[in-house]
Parts: sequence; structure tokens; C-alpha cells
Amino acid sequence: MATTKLLDIPPQPYTGEKARLTRAYDYLILVLALFLFIGAFHLHVALTVGDWDFWLDWKDRQWWPLVTPLMMITFPAAVQAVLWTNFRLPLGATLCVSCLLIGTWITRIFAYHYWNYFPINMVLPATMMPSALVLDVILMLSNSLTVTSIFGGMSFALLFYPSNWPIFGLFHMPVEYGNAQLTLADVFGFQYIRAGMPEYLRIIERGTLRTYGQYATPLSAFCSALLCTLMYPLWWYLGTWFATIRYVKTI
Amino acid sequence: MAVTTSGHLPAQAEHEQSKLPWYIRDLHKYLLTFAGLTVMYVGLRLYQGAFGVLAGLDSTEPAFQTHWMRLFHIELGILALVFPALWGYLWLTRDQNLEAIAPKEEIRRYFTLTMWISIYTFAVYWAGSYFAEQDNSWHQVSIRDTPFTANHIIEFYFNFPLYVLLGGSAWLYARTRLPLYAKEISLPLTLAVIGPFMILVSVGFNEWGHTFWFREEFFAAPIHWGFVVGVWFALGVGGILLQQVNRMIELLDKIEDLP
Repeated sequence: MATTKLLDIPPQPYTGEKARLTRAYDYLILVLALFLFIGAFHLHVALTVGDWDFWLDWKDRQWWPLVTPLMMITFPAAVQAVLWTNFRLPLGATLCVSCLLIGTWITRIFAYHYWNYFPINMVLPATMMPSALVLDVILMLSNSLTVTSIFGGMSFALLFYPSNWPIFGLFHMPVEYGNAQLTLADVFGFQYIRAGMPEYLRIIERGTLRTYGQYATPLSAFCSALLCTLMYPLWWYLGTWFATIRYVKTI
Repeated sequence: MAVTTSGHLPAQAEHEQSKLPWYIRDLHKYLLTFAGLTVMYVGLRLYQGAFGVLAGLDSTEPAFQTHWMRLFHIELGILALVFPALWGYLWLTRDQNLEAIAPKEEIRRYFTLTMWISIYTFAVYWAGSYFAEQDNSWHQVSIRDTPFTANHIIEFYFNFPLYVLLGGSAWLYARTRLPLYAKEISLPLTLAVIGPFMILVSVGFNEWGHTFWFREEFFAAPIHWGFVVGVWFALGVGGILLQQVNRMIELLDKIEDLP
């Protein structure tokens, strides 16, 4: 299914004052979009992915690779639906994810580290940047909602864990703590007590998962890939619906 | 009271002395508002750094009343003044002769509307990104014994109403100064303002939920999802952009392209 038509672009590009005027408008929109997507997408992610992105010891093999791509493909799909369809700008996903990273890094440094003294390693955000770049490229090359849903959605999810492994892999080193084998990430959770986190959540991964060996992560990733192929078109249409140009008589 | 819309606006003489192009005549006000808001938000964060641990951990302490509840009452006082003042100003200075608006003036007003929406999204950034996630950080080091915690007093009871004020101002500006928005109501602009407004309303549901369950055990818990649905409506900004671009292309065709 090909994406729909472009806006009516003037036949002759502007050259004089009109060109300067439209460029000034572009800059205004850029500033507007920057703060809009930092604010809106970050709130969406903080309240749906939440602790899996906040805390090192929550970055498990069962839920983290599932929840993060699934909730983070939402705004990129909706924004692509507007920017690609109307303006042929192949950067909706990269824009959203870049804004998200700016917002999360500012917060992790100033809200977690400087105000409440959590070590920055304990609150590093995950990155979806490689996934977003691939999603944008697949849409640009295919110009197809169907192809992007299937191959873009799958890539978005499957690239998540390998992209983040260089950042977080070292914290999965096994350590002996209180006569038990934990990871370094678990020890962070034990050492830095969080008032809202009860004892039964101190080890995030479920008991049986740690005997499931190396298979838990790819299983979660492929489950996420399947769900992302469905989530992508859903949010594409949601983005199209919100970007309506309708005027109404009453509200 | 009414602003006329012909080519001879009172502000035009003033503009002729300015070096800015006519379409960004309000750029100085826009940048000054950004600067003012930045100073205010950073100031609030510094206040939290100074008095959060010192006086913000136990709501039954007299120091909490002095440093935090007093700030809360000051915020309410400021909002009670600024809301009617700004919305009243926008209404009372509305254009009552929109039929006569010149294309250049309409284009300029689209730029000013975009500046209003940009200021609105700046407030959404502070409320939806920085102070929202800081809520989780603060409630993991303090015991949440009141809905008026050191972060809530700034986030829920000041930042949220403030972006509602600015979003409502953008809506009012469009409704009172731009012909298309005055003739009918823009659905995407309304969605982009009403949805985030519902986030403020969701504070009621959130705090009711926390009376049962005070912890932030899961920040992604269902009692927070009211906020999430509200922020989706910010995607309505895409529709505003399309409406504006369509109209500005029409208007640009009506004016001469100067070198």
C-alpha cells in the first residue's frame, strides 16, 4: 500500500522575500517540533516504558526488550505519517528518538544524578537511534506502509538489544553477593535503596528466567518484532487522524 | 479595543523602525518569553535543590509549611492573576474586522500563532519531560506522605496549569485574529490544547490512586495512563501545520515576491 499524495507545492520555487519568509517559518517549526516531541514523546515513554528505561537493574531479558520498542515505535510512526506523506521528509522516527534522548539525558543528569545522587550509570537511558534510522530508511526506500510495517517494525524491535548491548552488557557481569550469584546491575539496586521499590522487586528478572539460559532475549525480541509490525500501522493511522485539517462548527 | 486589519496598523509605524522583516515582527517578544520562562523553570529547579532535602521530606514539619506550602500558595496567586489577565487581554484586543484583513497581515499573524504554539510546546517540554520524570526520581528518595510533595507543588499545581494557560492562549489568538480559525473551529488546534489540558484533570485520578498505593513501584502503572492518553493529542500539531501551510501557500500567491 503506497503512502498518499503530497501537499500542493507551488510550481516555481520562491526566490526573493517569499523564500526568506518560508525559510523563517521552517526555523520556527523546527523549534516548535523540538520541544513538542521532547515533551510529548518523553512523557509517553516515561509512563509506559518507565522503570525499564530509568533503572539499570530493570533492564532485564524478558520485559525490557519487549516493552521498549513496542512503546517507542508509536510516535515515530505517527510523525512519519505526517512528515513523509505530506512533505517527503524521511526523518520522523529519527526526529522523535533524538528528541527523546535529549529529554531523557537532561533529566537523568539533573533530576536523578545532581538532585538525588543516583550514579549516572544506574540511570542510563536506552537508545533506539539505530532502530529509528533503519525505520526511516525503509519507509524512504519503499514508500510503502505495508513494507515499512513488516520490515521496518521488525527491524525496529530486533535492533534494540544489539544496539544497547555495548552500553549495558558490562553490567550483566556475574558477581557473588550474600552467597548468591547476581549481576552487577542487581547490586546497584541493592546498594541504592529506592523508597518506592519494594523488596520483592529487588531482583527484576523472574526466577525461572535465569535458568532459561541464552534464549530469553531472542524470544522477547521476536515477540516484540511481531507486536511492532502491528503497532506501527496502528500509530500511523492514529497520526493521520490527529493530523486532520478539519474545521468544525462547534466543539 | 478592536484592532483593525487594513494595511495601516498602529504597530506598522513602529515596525518601520525595526530591522526585522515584517513577518517576524513579534520575534523579540517570542525570544523574551523563552528567556523569561527558562529563568523561571531553572529557578524552580534550583529552589528544589536548595530546599528539597532540607525541608521537603516530611509534610508534617513546620519547615515544610514554610518552604513548600507557601510556594504552593504563591503559585496559585500568580495563576489566579495571570489566567484572567492574559486571556482577557487576548479577548479584549480581538480583531473585529477580520473580513478586511490584508494577506501580508494574515501571514504575519500565522507567524505569531506559530510562536504562541512554540511557547506552548516549550511549557509542555518542562511539564511533560523534565519535571514529569523528576517525579519518579524524587519519590524514590522521599516518602510520599502528601499529594503536595516538593516536586508535585511545581509539576502538578504550577507547570500543568501554566501550559494550559499558554495552549489556551494560542487557541484564543487563532480564534480572535485569523479568519479561518474565527469562521470555524480548528479541530487539530482544539485537540492539541484540550488533550494536554486533560492531563491536568488526570491529576485527580492519579492522586486518588496513590491514596491506595503511595509508591512509584511501577512508573508505567495504569494509574498514570490518563496522562499518556492526554499527551497523544499533542499530535494534533501536525494538523495545525498542514492547515497553516495550505493557507500560507494561498496567501503567498496574493503578494508580490520582492527581491
